[in-house]
Amino acid sequence: MKKERTGDNSRPYKLAHQILSLTGISFERRSIIGFVELTIVPLKDNLRHIRLNAKQCRIYRVCLNDQYEANFQYCDPFLDICQKDPHTRSLEDFSQFHLSAARKVDPDNNSGELHLQVPDDAAHLVGEGRGLRIGIEFSLESPQGGMHFVVPEGDASLVEKSAHMFTYGHSSRLWFPCVDSFAEPCTWKLEFTVDECLTAVSCGELLDVVYTPDHRRKTFHYVVNTPACAPNIALAIGPFEPYVDPHMNEVTHYCLPNLMQILKNTVRYLHEAFEFYEETLSTRYPYPCYKQVFVDETEDDATAYTTMSIMSTHLLHSIAIIDQTFISRKAMAQAVAEQFFGCFITMQNWSDLWLAKGIPDYLCGLYSKKCFGNNEYRYMTHQELQEVMQYEEQYGGIVLDPWQPPASGSRDECRDTFYFPVRNVLTMSPRYIEVMRKKSHLVLRMLEQRIGQELLLQVFNKQLSLATNAANTKIGSGLWGHLLLSTNLFVKAIFTVTGKDMAVFVDQWVRTGGHAKFTLTSVFNRKRNTVELEIRQDSVHEKGIRKYVGPLLVQLQELDGTFKHTMQIENTVVKADITCHSKSRRNKKKKIPLCTGEEVDMDLSAMDDSPVLWIRLDPEMSLLRTTVVSQPDYQWQYQLRHERDVTAQSEAIDALHNYPEPATRKALTDTIENEQTFYKIRCRAAHCLTKVANAMISSWAGPPAMLTIFRKMFGSFAAPHIIKQNNFDNLQHYFLQKTIPVAMAGLRNIHGICPPEVVRFLLDLFKYNDNSKNHYSDNYYKAALVDALAATITPVISVLQPGAPITADSLSADTRLVLEEITRVLNLEKVLPCYKHAVTVSCLRAVRRLQQCGHLPSVPAVFRAYAHYGQYIDVRLAAFECLVDFVRVDGRPEDLSSLLTTVESDPDPGVRHGLARLLVTMPPFERAQRHRLDTEAVVHRLWSNINSHLSNDARLRCDLVDLYYTLYWVKRPHCLPIPEMQAMMKQLHHKRKDDREAKRPFLKRKLDVEPKVEVEFPALDPIPPLTTLEPMPNEDNLPVPLSAIKEEDVKLDITTLQDMPIRVYSDDSKREFISDNAVPLPGIPGTSGPIGFEPGMFKHERDELGAPKAKKKKKDKKKHKHKHKHKHSNKDKSKEHKDKDRLTPRPSSGLEHLKIKEETRETLSSFSSSQSPSEDISSMPSNMSF
Amino acid sequence: MSETTEKVENSCDARRRILNIAVSTVLLETGFSSSDKMALETLTEALQCFFTELGNSARGYCELSGRVEPVLGDVVMGLINMGISIQGIEQYATRPNRHVIQPLQQAQAPRTPAMLSAGSKAKPGIHIPLHLPSLPDPHAYIRTPTHKQPVTEYEAIREKAATQKRDIERALTKFLAKTSETHNLFNTEDNQVFPLIACKPTFPAYLPCLLPTDQVFDFDELEYHFQVANRTEDLPADKKDQSDNEGENGADNENANNSQSETQDIPSASSPERSKT
Repeated sequence: MKKERTGDNSRPYKLAHQILSLTGISFERRSIIGFVELTIVPLKDNLRHIRLNAKQCRIYRVCLNDQYEANFQYCDPFLDICQKDPHTRSLEDFSQFHLSAARKVDPDNNSGELHLQVPDDAAHLVGEGRGLRIGIEFSLESPQGGMHFVVPEGDASLVEKSAHMFTYGHSSRLWFPCVDSFAEPCTWKLEFTVDECLTAVSCGELLDVVYTPDHRRKTFHYVVNTPACAPNIALAIGPFEPYVDPHMNEVTHYCLPNLMQILKNTVRYLHEAFEFYEETLSTRYPYPCYKQVFVDETEDDATAYTTMSIMSTHLLHSIAIIDQTFISRKAMAQAVAEQFFGCFITMQNWSDLWLAKGIPDYLCGLYSKKCFGNNEYRYMTHQELQEVMQYEEQYGGIVLDPWQPPASGSRDECRDTFYFPVRNVLTMSPRYIEVMRKKSHLVLRMLEQRIGQELLLQVFNKQLSLATNAANTKIGSGLWGHLLLSTNLFVKAIFTVTGKDMAVFVDQWVRTGGHAKFTLTSVFNRKRNTVELEIRQDSVHEKGIRKYVGPLLVQLQELDGTFKHTMQIENTVVKADITCHSKSRRNKKKKIPLCTGEEVDMDLSAMDDSPVLWIRLDPEMSLLRTTVVSQPDYQWQYQLRHERDVTAQSEAIDALHNYPEPATRKALTDTIENEQTFYKIRCRAAHCLTKVANAMISSWAGPPAMLTIFRKMFGSFAAPHIIKQNNFDNLQHYFLQKTIPVAMAGLRNIHGICPPEVVRFLLDLFKYNDNSKNHYSDNYYKAALVDALAATITPVISVLQPGAPITADSLSADTRLVLEEITRVLNLEKVLPCYKHAVTVSCLRAVRRLQQCGHLPSVPAVFRAYAHYGQYIDVRLAAFECLVDFVRVDGRPEDLSSLLTTVESDPDPGVRHGLARLLVTMPPFERAQRHRLDTEAVVHRLWSNINSHLSNDARLRCDLVDLYYTLYWVKRPHCLPIPEMQAMMKQLHHKRKDDREAKRPFLKRKLDVEPKVEVEFPALDPIPPLTTLEPMPNEDNLPVPLSAIKEEDVKLDITTLQDMPIRVYSDDSKREFISDNAVPLPGIPGTSGPIGFEPGMFKHERDELGAPKAKKKKKDKKKHKHKHKHKHSNKDKSKEHKDKDRLTPRPSSGLEHLKIKEETRETLSSFSSSQSPSEDISSMPSNMSF
Repeated sequence: MSETTEKVENSCDARRRILNIAVSTVLLETGFSSSDKMALETLTEALQCFFTELGNSARGYCELSGRVEPVLGDVVMGLINMGISIQGIEQYATRPNRHVIQPLQQAQAPRTPAMLSAGSKAKPGIHIPLHLPSLPDPHAYIRTPTHKQPVTEYEAIREKAATQKRDIERALTKFLAKTSETHNLFNTEDNQVFPLIACKPTFPAYLPCLLPTDQVFDFDELEYHFQVANRTEDLPADKKDQSDNEGENGADNENANNSQSETQDIPSASSPERSKT
């Protein structure tokens, strides 16, 4: 075996066992105090340095074998990622620093934040193969990531308030020191001491619950005998109510108080998932128990850990809820699948992430196929394929395993296609991870097609049985490596089991990014009775698309049946003549056989001579590809009507958008009405029909599209215009009943407005909605109706004078009705809330829609109220969606800044992440458009977040990197002054700063205090106003770079501290470095100070340095107060000055600057920038592009 | 009831008016040109009392002598008994310059309300001679419902139910909007037209949302409905794979035991074989 450097052999030791004991868990302080003991087995005798992972924890003491105290250093490069180049604001640079920071703490790179040194007198403890115990005492206060405390406001007791805490993400270093690698499994002993009324749920088997001597607290003892890696360790503490699964008593579910009934309903079918996986993989579930904990305020719906999953409490639903059932059941099944792959068998390197994500997805896919049906499965796969392709075309090809280049090895171009490093999970965009997961699933599905499902499952089975054997051994056996899976091992295992070498496949799809794109055109040659196909790959040089070489399946539906032809794709253009099997003979009335073996009658009148009914490319989705098939409209219509595959139907619907004609209308209508068709296709057909109807509005005859269908299906017998009482027992009808009104609301008449008939129809649906006899809740239906109302709204045609305020009286009659309905249901929801406040969510969007179209004044106050902490999460996110949209359209800088504040500091991590994603999808301003929100302050704020403030929340940091990219791309943001200028202006500032010492400050900057930058120029300006000039429209480029002073300060600090580990706190003022309960820790008698390197140790120096600054700040504040008065008195005057100053024309004032330059050189030579002044001067005018 | 008292009052009035006129005439004759209203009333009252007394005693005499109707003699006896001389009464009655009171116009007799007729009168049978009175209203001899027949028209019922529900909801939300804090959708001060009830944060926020109260479900019954009555899992395989697409909850179609009767118009939905569980 060649010695390859992998995740599990990069460290000079193996981890055998770890004890984690948390004693002081305080909900009031949101803190924990704990102790870990890692038993490691060194692999060499001269092990002197041990690197472990620990973040945001405070380490008190490190002890070897309980005897020898070890020195330790703590360095977290994420605290200031761009330390080497603090002035850069470009993502290009950031990306490099980001990756190197992640490398510096990557345990698979034998590094970590915590650097232990084995003291000389303890050197004898270290010996190859001898266990060494490392004990670490630590505490953690107000964690910013990894662990979340949910403590609702109010005076009630913890239990009454349902206060609880849990860990999230797969980054255990955030809450205890460990080897935070998926490649280092070990056995565990976990102890948690909690209040007597609370329950601690964690990984492994619960051995014992012991009361403390005072009987006010109890300790839960868990052991994990199956080796598990640290990222898969989790904890949840709260007043949970347990429910033992009635079908499998190894499975326990926990929920928060009052939710037991819906918990029972939600988990009703979980045992089926277990049975399915065990049967499919023919392996026993690898652990002795399984726990599901439902908690509030999670980031994700479900996260799987060893023997337990932490679920969102929002997955719970009663038996009367329909839509949520699909989501919840799938999320839970997914978490169970991850127990097998992802928890039990983990990845060897980050490069194998695709296996750890893809295999459970694949298994879960098989389960959903069984649970929800084949159509659902195929449809989902098709959607995933489209999503992945779209992402790749937008951002670049995803390489699932980028560490090892493909054997053919020519292409390396994909490396730098992304604006974030794809080689470490800490630096990947969350969206990328999501898409990558989907791609992994698709690739595994392709593999299934290549080697067959049975054999693939045998491969899994082999891995699992190897791992099960290994898990029962001790570490000494050296078999724990079988618990890890890598791409190479996987390929090898496939070869062993099947005898097939999949290396080429892996090279093609796993180690190379991108997908293929085929364009197919066909001509029927009547003379020779052939179809001349042409398959082109024209766009191989576009982003995310690459050339494909290999077989490609073309499926022709002819009059005589379905015929498959495998084409060899070797070039970008491939031409082939396919002889048709059937003569053109549509006069003979004969049934036409389909690929399923069915024979159907078709109306063939639309066809011309060709016997081909339709053509499909790669029908089984056995490649990662997009296809563009050109065929005439009637072929698409045949495909929609008669092809049985949902993917074909859905592609046909996509294509039919372009053919607005009566035949299309008929085909779509028939599809909607066809009870045999998959319901999602029917729903899509409805939406497509909306577009088709709108396109052929001038020739449309009869009632609005779908009105008749709806009345036929849902109108009551005696009075078709009145909808039947709701009965959702037929789920297909239920989904149609929800969809058709929304689709109809999209209809427009010749004037571009929604036909009044449709509006009346919708209002009647509201009026006659009667759910009293239904077995299901109609909350989603009601929400869909509100959505439909919102969709009817079109931009206002105002009779008012422009600028006149919009009042209730100025609304049009239709709008009044719509608004009346919306307010009524929204108000009603306050008294009779429906499940998940689905109606409120839709109402908020509808109100925003009314605002967008100018029917209502664009007032964000309502949304702000709904966005507050304490509202339901779905409602909050909807409100934020409206707010983000508001900011984009008519927001002021303060509005944007308050959104950013929420992203930074909302109590709910799910909202922080969700809002960040919203900002990415709906950016507040376009890049480089000189938008009024595109200010320097925003740049600096985002930058300081990604650079340092979000060091403990990798996911949110990467979210903001995405946002930064959306707003500024990879280069330096346009709104920032050019660096050369900046350097020059810096000097100018220092000059002014000196002046300030003598006189008074003229510039005030409070970026840290308030997000908005305010600059006030006093009446006394050092630069006398020059000749007045034409005002320039650009307001963004202040000639005075505001950041200059601040940055200079920071730089000063950094240079003095550069050789030492850096710890910069975002909010140093708030933190106490030694908490009260830190003092009495054993082993440090009498010392309250830090031992070893402590977070914030260097703060003193900083403080000392910063002392004058602080004073200054105070002074500034006073001045500021004073200035306010001043400002009022001659506001206009100062404004004038400001303007003049801002607009000081550079090119013409070259002399002026020269003068300043000279001055600075004399006075402040020590602050000179890297460039010589002469260079500055020469480069300056050319760069002055305002 | 009220009608009769009114009539009594009317007749009293008429009588009293005549007395009034009589007294006034005498007063005029005697030479008065005007009189106090009080005095006139007193005199009228006195006259009325006198007549009442006279009538009473006349009836007494009449009954004493075994008759039922008083004759002139009885009146004379009454007068004499009251100590009133009847000398010259004839002359007085025929005095030359006496005033004659105009005979009162016949007061219009109050209309008797029409008899409540219910139903159409039945024709008398052939065995009943024609001269006999016609039959009374049918309700006099058969059962007639005392309330209106309810409207059975589906459309009207739905209309009414919908209107009622909407009215209740509207009243409730209006009330709440008036009594609690509101959000305003407009920039105006006045928030009467479309008030939105302000949202209040709740802790924990998930409870009311996961346990909604907009509808009351009997979960045990639903459980029975979905888990027992309509379970499709135990069906033979060939029937089961039809429910492939929507195999959710095992309750994807026909409701076996529920209220089909109320809405008869539900056309029986897809695949009938699955309803027979």
